[in-house]
Amino acid sequence: MTRLRIDHATKSFPAANGKETVAVHDVTLDVAQGEFLVIVGPSGCGKTTVLNMLAGLQLPTSGSVILDDKPIAGPGPERGVMFQDYALFPWCTVSGNIEFGLRHGPAGAKLDATARRERVRHYVDLVGLVGSEEKYPHQLSGGMRQRVALARLMAIEPAVLLMDEPLAALDAQTRLILQDELLRIWGQDRPATERRTVVFITHAIDEAVFLADRIAVMTTHPGRIKEVIDVNLPRARNDATRALPEFQALTQHIWQSIRDEAYRATVA
Amino acid sequence: MTARFAQGWLLPIALIATWQAVGSTVQNPRMPLPSKVVTAFLRMIADGDLPMAIAQSLSRVFMGFMVAASIAIPLGLAMGHVRAIERNVDPLVESFRPVAAIAILPLAILWFGTGTGAAVLIVAYAAFFPIIINTVAGAKRINPTLLQAAATMGLTRMRTIRTVVVPAALPSIGVGLRIGMGVAWTAIVAAELAVGAKAGGGGSGGIGQMMFVFYAYSIELNRIIVCMIGVGIVALLLDRLIRWALRAAMPWTAR
Amino acid sequence: MRTTRTRSVLIYLRTMALFLAAWALAAWWKDKPVLLPSPLAAIEAFVELAGGMELFEHAGISLARLLLSLALASALAIPLGLAMGLRPTLDRVVDPTVELLRPISGIAWIPLALFIFGIGNALPVFIMTYAAFFPILLGTIAAVRTVDARLVDAARTMGVPRRGIVTHVVMPAALPSLLVALRLGVASAWTAVVAAELIGAPSGLGYAIEWYRELLMTPQVMAFIAMIGILGYLCDRAVRELSVALTPWAPESAASR
Repeated sequence: MTRLRIDHATKSFPAANGKETVAVHDVTLDVAQGEFLVIVGPSGCGKTTVLNMLAGLQLPTSGSVILDDKPIAGPGPERGVMFQDYALFPWCTVSGNIEFGLRHGPAGAKLDATARRERVRHYVDLVGLVGSEEKYPHQLSGGMRQRVALARLMAIEPAVLLMDEPLAALDAQTRLILQDELLRIWGQDRPATERRTVVFITHAIDEAVFLADRIAVMTTHPGRIKEVIDVNLPRARNDATRALPEFQALTQHIWQSIRDEAYRATVA
Repeated sequence: MTARFAQGWLLPIALIATWQAVGSTVQNPRMPLPSKVVTAFLRMIADGDLPMAIAQSLSRVFMGFMVAASIAIPLGLAMGHVRAIERNVDPLVESFRPVAAIAILPLAILWFGTGTGAAVLIVAYAAFFPIIINTVAGAKRINPTLLQAAATMGLTRMRTIRTVVVPAALPSIGVGLRIGMGVAWTAIVAAELAVGAKAGGGGSGGIGQMMFVFYAYSIELNRIIVCMIGVGIVALLLDRLIRWALRAAMPWTAR
Repeated sequence: MRTTRTRSVLIYLRTMALFLAAWALAAWWKDKPVLLPSPLAAIEAFVELAGGMELFEHAGISLARLLLSLALASALAIPLGLAMGLRPTLDRVVDPTVELLRPISGIAWIPLALFIFGIGNALPVFIMTYAAFFPILLGTIAAVRTVDARLVDAARTMGVPRRGIVTHVVMPAALPSLLVALRLGVASAWTAVVAAELIGAPSGLGYAIEWYRELLMTPQVMAFIAMIGILGYLCDRAVRELSVALTPWAPESAASR
């Protein structure tokens, strides 16, 4: 069952010299309920633009974005976003940040203060931040901030979770740990109807293969979807998964697919 | 682009027009009007009063500014580079900083009378603090790896200061000079105004004093307004001048 | 930690002691107490004025004017700055006028203001309000403009309506910079107070300086100058402490000097 669909979307910007820059061209993607879809591609391929369009932060120049058969025209709590640099509110504590969407947005409209607190407590526990509720973001490590951002996103219980390179700012070791955590929190061992739908952006191929049910490979100039690959690795994924030959094969395949483009991006 | 330009002038023109319209209805002949301000301006240029007053004030500003810079920049560089110097001199700087230049004026008048000497002292005092504070910050903010690079190339201490510390600190020094110039100009106007208030019609000259004379003696509000606008225009021009000079001195900075 | 603190206090005392010694030497050598009184005479004058409350009376008056003008300037500049920062059209219309008026310092307004208000309380307050207005306005606009767009985006994706975004995101995010703007406003107003009171007020620290100068009582002049410096420092300190109290999350407050 398709939850979210981006339909022949093109995004172009007027460039300084009067011409138009096409960021992404004719992108079509279906995201199924409970699916973990990863978009991977080299720098500048427009994956963030695709995410922004899904989120409603940018509107496509042509084409449309449809959620549950309804076209969207702007951002909203049904499509929660986790940003690359977390975008935590520095003046709010951990619990303040997590509660923010419930307190000031429509997602918490039906909840009273006690119910809100309860939900915050649930997600603080889920992401593993018990004991840090009263800390401010500047007192937290990168990994902890990422957990706060995730909890904040999940607290509004969106239909779709959109994540823009959330692990990019972390060191390699923290990254591996948080990949595991992400899958656990998402509920990788639960049936699809009980899981949240996730669209995840990354430039790290191994990360994509580790996390995804399906991978959309994008290329640049203009940004478009080159191919969509099913990842048939068994769930639950863990360290052993990375050693599987299928894992290596998939990683290699994707790398070869975008390798030339990635090279050109570094010398252009 | 032109729409934006026009948008900017909308409010000032509307205000001036309102002023002219409403002011014309007022009976008092002393009421200043934009039209009268313009005539006063032309008269003051023709008589040479305005240019001379501005020139006088400017000469004091430049003198005081030079004095301030020639003390503040070397001292600031020394303070920023050598921790011990900073620790010992900083208490004095920080203690006198909250004391505005104009507060020193009575002392300056006591020492130098109501002439140029007092004015230059006030200007120098005023400009000194922004220049030294920014110079110290600039010298401190130098990326230590730049100094290390110089050391690995075998540069002596003096040469390092000349060829690395000074250029690296130059943008901050520039900021200090810009602020210092602005403060200097405000200070001279204030000083001349205060001296004019105390010394009466004679005394130091300069645009500040001229303004006061128009208030206290001839009560020519239109001329006061001309002087005010003059103060504003000179402030803008001085800022442009400094920015141009700094850009010429630092071709490597962006923009 | 405590040793470095005591150390800096000791160095401070040593520097000031050297300064006083140099001053005393210069005063003794010059031997003209009207021009350059000895530090002792100045300190005596300070103590005497403090004891007789005169020092504090004038200080209180100047401070009261400062607070009033800051309140007025903030009441005008902060809402306007918020509006201008949030609405570029408003900014484009108002900003040129602001930029035309700003170079005309508060001091330059004194003669005209004297004509309108005469000598009294209104004049210094007017000049100080004008002086504080521009730094606070410009600082507020900058504070609003530099709010991280990502934070606004985050709130939008949570469905927070525009009004909520202004109240719960823009204002808290702009607060640290706004307090810096307030500090600049205080400094500006405090500089203007002396000139304004010197020329156009019957009371206050600026007036006192001039009064004693005319009487050629230089030690008293110095005492009041010192008071201006002390209060200027304390006011700045007060705003900095306020910043730390209001914005405990800002790393700048933690490292505040």
